[in-house]
Amino acid sequence: MPKLTIDGREVEVPQGTNLIEAARLAGVEVPYFCYHPYLTVVGQCRICMVEIEGQPRLAIACATAAADGMVVKSATSQRVKEAREAVMEFLLANHPLDCPVCDQAGECLLQDHAMSEQGGNFASGMLETRRTFPGLERRLLGPHVIQNQNRCIHCSRCIRFTQEISETWALTYKNRGNNAYIDTFDGRPFDDPFSACAADVCPVGALTVREFRFRKRAWKLSSTPSVCPGCSIGCNIWIDHHERIVYRFTPRENPEINATWLCDYGRFLSESLNQQDVVHPKRRLKEGWQKLPWAEVFRALALDVKAAKTLRVVASGYMSNEELYLARELFARRLQGELVVPVFMGEPRKMKNGRRQWLYSQSALPNLEGAKRLGIRTVDEEGLARFLYGAADLTVVLDPQAHPFLATPEAVQLVKVSPTVVAARVDAPLLEAATWVLPAASLAANEGTWVSSTGKVQRFAVAVAPPGEARPLWQILALLARALGFADLAVTTPSQVFQWLVESEQSFAGLDWNTLLGAEQTSYRERQHVG
Amino acid sequence: MKTQAIHAVPPEQLQKVTFDEAMEKRIAEIFERYPTKRAAMLPVLWLCQERYGWISPGVIAAVAERLEESPAFVEGVVSFYTMFHRQPPAKYVLQLCVTLSCELCGAKTLAHHIKERLGIGFGEKTPDGTFQLLGVECLGACGGAPVIQVNEDYYENMTPEKLDQLLSELAREQ
Repeated sequence: MPKLTIDGREVEVPQGTNLIEAARLAGVEVPYFCYHPYLTVVGQCRICMVEIEGQPRLAIACATAAADGMVVKSATSQRVKEAREAVMEFLLANHPLDCPVCDQAGECLLQDHAMSEQGGNFASGMLETRRTFPGLERRLLGPHVIQNQNRCIHCSRCIRFTQEISETWALTYKNRGNNAYIDTFDGRPFDDPFSACAADVCPVGALTVREFRFRKRAWKLSSTPSVCPGCSIGCNIWIDHHERIVYRFTPRENPEINATWLCDYGRFLSESLNQQDVVHPKRRLKEGWQKLPWAEVFRALALDVKAAKTLRVVASGYMSNEELYLARELFARRLQGELVVPVFMGEPRKMKNGRRQWLYSQSALPNLEGAKRLGIRTVDEEGLARFLYGAADLTVVLDPQAHPFLATPEAVQLVKVSPTVVAARVDAPLLEAATWVLPAASLAANEGTWVSSTGKVQRFAVAVAPPGEARPLWQILALLARALGFADLAVTTPSQVFQWLVESEQSFAGLDWNTLLGAEQTSYRERQHVG
Repeated sequence: MKTQAIHAVPPEQLQKVTFDEAMEKRIAEIFERYPTKRAAMLPVLWLCQERYGWISPGVIAAVAERLEESPAFVEGVVSFYTMFHRQPPAKYVLQLCVTLSCELCGAKTLAHHIKERLGIGFGEKTPDGTFQLLGVECLGACGGAPVIQVNEDYYENMTPEKLDQLLSELAREQ
């Protein structure tokens, strides 16, 4: 492994590491615009120039491999400073000074570099006016991406993204030199299934995500590590939120699963997390719905559950391992009920990992693998219909979204014949048939672990407090267990349940709750903004 | 010397393009000369411009399909090179060299002369679609400055008088 010195700091890096990454390992930040760790190195922007002892010319750090004994100067070299200032002068000659109205401000590489390293001091010798692209300032490039070509610094990251990652080859430069601009073939809509990633990789505000634009200033957002609920692949995400509202998902780096990418489908599920139609626990009486405080609910519900001789429970592939464990322990083992997890494929999804291999979704459910590992019986649509057929003393549906069948009139009819408890977040046809409705919190207000279809146990953290009286499902299960007299199951945090999983389940052995979040590694987002 | 007029196929006929047998044969010949299909992109595009007079989005889509490339990629290449016509050109494209040698030897006078005689400036076309004026960079014939290239042919040591004669001849021939 080559050992080198960067700005006086010695560092040993793996063979083949470029100087940007080597510098990062040494704790030195080298600025860049066109470089991206998961895209081909092109060396277009020239801002990452460094001085290497013994070489007369400055070298670009992105395309120079670290070698043994190299002595590199970045921030400590006057020549480097001058060279970078010259590059910035060229870039800013045409870049509009519209940061106050630009949605990228706060997460813009150009702005960051201009303000941090150059101290915001610039003198431009240009006498000419700025180059503009009339008609391309506010253009809907595709369904999710808005283009402002005036801000483009021609780094070609978006083009390389469509060529190397999404493989649609949808974007290209048109014309050349000073007139070059980003476009699709014949100006057609940019309808790449990963289109918003092109806006993510854009280091400036030339491509921005339509759904997020002008909804919230980037610096107001807090980011919480989580996992995409869109399918079984389990892409790592940041939930970006502010004052209990989720504003967006952005990809969180994980070389094993999603590198720094996220498909449009998964990304735009973010808005759905703000939806909470069911906010109060309630019971159906002859004269209508009766709202009850939670304490009352558990007391009364426990009586119903105890009285039930036949108990059937529909769990969900959206539930965390901890929730599934509690459901299995409580309903199947202690109460001798029947427990199933419905399975459905949904739209097939795919994702490219850091080694540029495609991963394909095995189902629409983010934790089907977890349900399988816990030995819970899985059922398809037919099996689910058969499971719900006939009467039971009590039916519990822990998630009406667990299977599309549960939204059909047929399912409502099946469930109607016996008393039913439904834990739900959004309105669903099944609520018409329920005798008890319990408000469950969204992924953003929950914490736990999921097992991706690649077999990785991944933890998601609490981003926001649940709205109204909604509670995370694990808490509802734990409190119900207490009301039923199973005080040992009345956990106060899912990490306790996870500890039981680690102790009792072979497939969870050796795992540690504290390291499962993955956010403790410096991810690309922290190193430099993805979006 | 007789300059060949460009016969540009009208846009409505180039919306969707399928190569006929003669074109396919020539494309196959071009492919033989290159290691990959992508490498044959420029010659195939030239062939198309020769055949259709210009490169429409429909032509780009057909070439992309034939070369197994994305249409956006092919369009990027086409738009990079200014010698590909992306709009139907006039019958005679007057390419007036505006680089140093020609400029010093009177290119500006010729441009003014064309403006007066045909009423077109750089990038413009006569209403009848006969002439189109383009300002181009060095044509590599500084010895004969000022130079005008009409379609494929060079006309050197041009003067307003010689230009008048040339334009009359071309207008008559069409």
